[in-house]
Amino acid sequence: MATEWIQTSCGMCYVGCGVRVQMEDGIALGIEGDPNHPQNRGNMCAKGKAGLMNLYNPYRVKAPLKRTNPEKGLHVDPGWQEISWAEALDTVGSKLQAIRDNPKQLYIQGWEITGDSHLWLHAFASAFGTPHYSSNGSPTCGKVIHPVEFFAAGGFHQQPDLHYCNYCILVGTQFAIAARASFNHILRDMADARARGMKLVVVDPIGGFAGSKADQWVPIRPGTDTAFALSMLHVLLNELGIYDAEFLKHKSNAPYLVGPKGLYARDPASGKPMVFDAADQKTKVYDDPTLKDPAIIGASEAGRPSFELLKEHVAKYSPEKTEEITTIPAATLRQIAKEFGAAASIGATTVIDGVELPYRPACVDWAKGPQGHKHGFHQCWPLKLLNIVMGAVSVPGGILSTGAAGKKPFQWFPEGGTDGLLEKGGNILPLPHPKAFPGRTPTKPVRNDLAEIFPLAPHFHTLLPLTAEDHERYGLDYGLEVMLHTPTNSLLGSFGDLKVVERFYRSIPFIAGFAVEINETNLFDDIILPFPSYLERFDFNAGTSSRQLGPCGQDDWFWQVRQPVVELAPGLRHPQEVIMELARRVGILDDFYRLINHTFRLKEPYALQPGRRYGATEVIDRTARCWFGEEHDLKWFQEHGVIRYEKDVEEAYIGPFLQARLPIYLEHFLQRGAELKEVIGQMGLDWDFSDYTPLSEWLPCPSYDAVKKGEYEFIAVHYKLPYVYGSFGNDNPLINELCERNPYAYGVLVNADVAKAKGFADGEEVWLESPVRKVKVKLKLTQCIHPEVVGIAGHFGHWSPGMPIARGKGVNFNSLLPTDLEHIDKISTALDHCVEVRLYK
Amino acid sequence: MANLTFKEPMQQANTVRVRVRFMGDLRAVVESRDLNVSLPQGSSVGDLLGALAGRYGDPFAKWLFTESGELHHYILIFVNGENIQDTGGVSTGLAGQEDQVEVIMLPMFEGG
Repeated sequence: MATEWIQTSCGMCYVGCGVRVQMEDGIALGIEGDPNHPQNRGNMCAKGKAGLMNLYNPYRVKAPLKRTNPEKGLHVDPGWQEISWAEALDTVGSKLQAIRDNPKQLYIQGWEITGDSHLWLHAFASAFGTPHYSSNGSPTCGKVIHPVEFFAAGGFHQQPDLHYCNYCILVGTQFAIAARASFNHILRDMADARARGMKLVVVDPIGGFAGSKADQWVPIRPGTDTAFALSMLHVLLNELGIYDAEFLKHKSNAPYLVGPKGLYARDPASGKPMVFDAADQKTKVYDDPTLKDPAIIGASEAGRPSFELLKEHVAKYSPEKTEEITTIPAATLRQIAKEFGAAASIGATTVIDGVELPYRPACVDWAKGPQGHKHGFHQCWPLKLLNIVMGAVSVPGGILSTGAAGKKPFQWFPEGGTDGLLEKGGNILPLPHPKAFPGRTPTKPVRNDLAEIFPLAPHFHTLLPLTAEDHERYGLDYGLEVMLHTPTNSLLGSFGDLKVVERFYRSIPFIAGFAVEINETNLFDDIILPFPSYLERFDFNAGTSSRQLGPCGQDDWFWQVRQPVVELAPGLRHPQEVIMELARRVGILDDFYRLINHTFRLKEPYALQPGRRYGATEVIDRTARCWFGEEHDLKWFQEHGVIRYEKDVEEAYIGPFLQARLPIYLEHFLQRGAELKEVIGQMGLDWDFSDYTPLSEWLPCPSYDAVKKGEYEFIAVHYKLPYVYGSFGNDNPLINELCERNPYAYGVLVNADVAKAKGFADGEEVWLESPVRKVKVKLKLTQCIHPEVVGIAGHFGHWSPGMPIARGKGVNFNSLLPTDLEHIDKISTALDHCVEVRLYK
Repeated sequence: MANLTFKEPMQQANTVRVRVRFMGDLRAVVESRDLNVSLPQGSSVGDLLGALAGRYGDPFAKWLFTESGELHHYILIFVNGENIQDTGGVSTGLAGQEDQVEVIMLPMFEGG
């Protein structure tokens, strides 16, 4: 038998590694990493190696289905009946047509970023005219990192520069060890960095994959990252006097003078913020061409520099006081701060490709952990500040910003805006990026997700279950009538308390969803549309590593088009063609084309033409030729796999080339907060405005208070496994085998000493009870967890009959989370992800 | 399709007629897909937006413009298929008698 190898892109998570699939007689027999692909350089993870089991999953949906049981519920049998595509599309089309005059009644859950679907559904939502499009899957992840990154660095996400970093602090993330974008790339970079001597400090309640490999694991009480970061700032700025003064003076708003009400002192004529020039002892606007030495400490008649206010503010967080909050010993915090400050090498430079650049080989990285809190924005922001005050942003050795800039096949680069500050992030696709500056002016809500009263947030879907409970309370006179969704299991992964989510999904009269397998979200569908495996699909956008979450530094930029390795199974259709057909049926196809042309930068002669019909491959072929030239059509990508370009210094280290200042003081939080108070007052809502402050303050989560009061003993937190991506793949037998062999995956972590004191044994089954749910769990005792913490991995706890391998295994962490306004961050809309629990037999 | 004349009385010869199509999030406040607008000869996209903001008030105006009066980064405007970012921004003129203006508010996109 002849063996053939086909190059394509992995779709087992959002990264998009290059793979080669071994084929014999049309059957896929094995998957290997593509050694010539810049993303993974031949590496593969367990998820990718298990991909064939998703393709050949006998429980896959391979024909449209309709429910025959009108009753809906978490454990209600929908009574599926197979139907034709014609009937399925007629039904979905007619439901969409029925709300055509009031399109905001449509909600699209569009998170499916292994391929094109999220971009195509984004265009569909806009052409249809609904604001209710959710392009994110998690109730926490990304809620803060993206809006912070776009106004404090310029790109989509952050990434330590493992090529040059010598001291890396990870807070609430297992970066490059068990998680994160560009995974199989940064994994090797992390190993190389540690081998050459980079010190790795992991601050995390759990000493998991990252903590166990770190030089130093620092257990922290959940929800206290703000205090840790502010205290680190205090030691650096006030005790050690280490900060990059030149950077702060000229590349941040540190010298902007602040008046007594916390607002900038502004030039009466221009309205621009003013600074004090120590060189000639004059007050000037920040961009005065005569400005030489803007003061960042001291005071003038006009006000005090914002840096001076920051220094004064953080002085409240001595390591001794902070120890009471975080449980991190004061001496440990001082040790880390001292080492971090020394490693930052303030004033040092390096030369790369003949270009002299600042050299700051120390940085702090954070991700999901700090974001998932009631005060999530301010849990994260001071961690970013640690990099900014060191001048360690977008320079060699510091923290870099993913996808921020590029020169091929297009030019994109972040730009300044309001008050001279970074405002417009870099983005290869001309789509609005999530950012928290300068924010929107709040108004009375029209939207069911209350976006109007979260003026600094980029995502809002966590509010949908809350407004569905009582529209009138929020001044809304309608509810959602139709929902379309991707195969993502949003019921288990996008919200919290299952009772609340169940009521939300039941409140929507018609739901149609794509499905690879019938997960718990699909149990609420009226119509199911089968979705191909990634090994059967064409996707121009194959994962995120080429676009917004690629490897940082000077590694090559690249693009790969995903191609199928097997024929599309009978009964399946390409999702792009299904979306176009629905757009045609509701009369928005030409508008949809306008938006696809914009999204993918399609210009003549490649732009989609009104009145014409296209297949998925034709659209992808046009896009490939438009982006990369006539010679690089779809066929070229099918033969060659990936196209790559070298990055120059300006693309890799954008900091010195950025024509904008970075913020250390969030004046606009005061402005947006004041405006919001007025709107909320008119609405008669009880609202927490405590986070609308220009300088972060640590405020406790409800779980912190509950444990302090003795109402509960533990705080439960979630952590990631390197072989599990959300709940995607949980029904894959190879991934399940890994989880079963690892007692940590389906078990619940508890500190061994604490467990023994309570009479719990390793492997024992006990009750775990949160304020909203009680479940039986199997304990795994370990030294590697904070004594007040319970650790829960992955996204397990399935019950859908369509996932027979995953059923009844592990715990669904989100279902433990109280889901109400009290647990929503009023800046970012993140749902609090630390929850008070008790354990008992 | 709704019809709208912003300045009356007005001689037909001194006006341009513009067809406006709303897409994206703005539909939620405009509650109409299309609108016919008459504007004085020589009007620009900025004039059109100002007129629309006057007609629809808040939240339309605040979804469209920042506090300092700039267009929000998520607002896209095409005049006869051309993005105004390539044709002079809001000062782009509305010269034709059958100008098709698309005012699109895209949702902020992606993340986590």
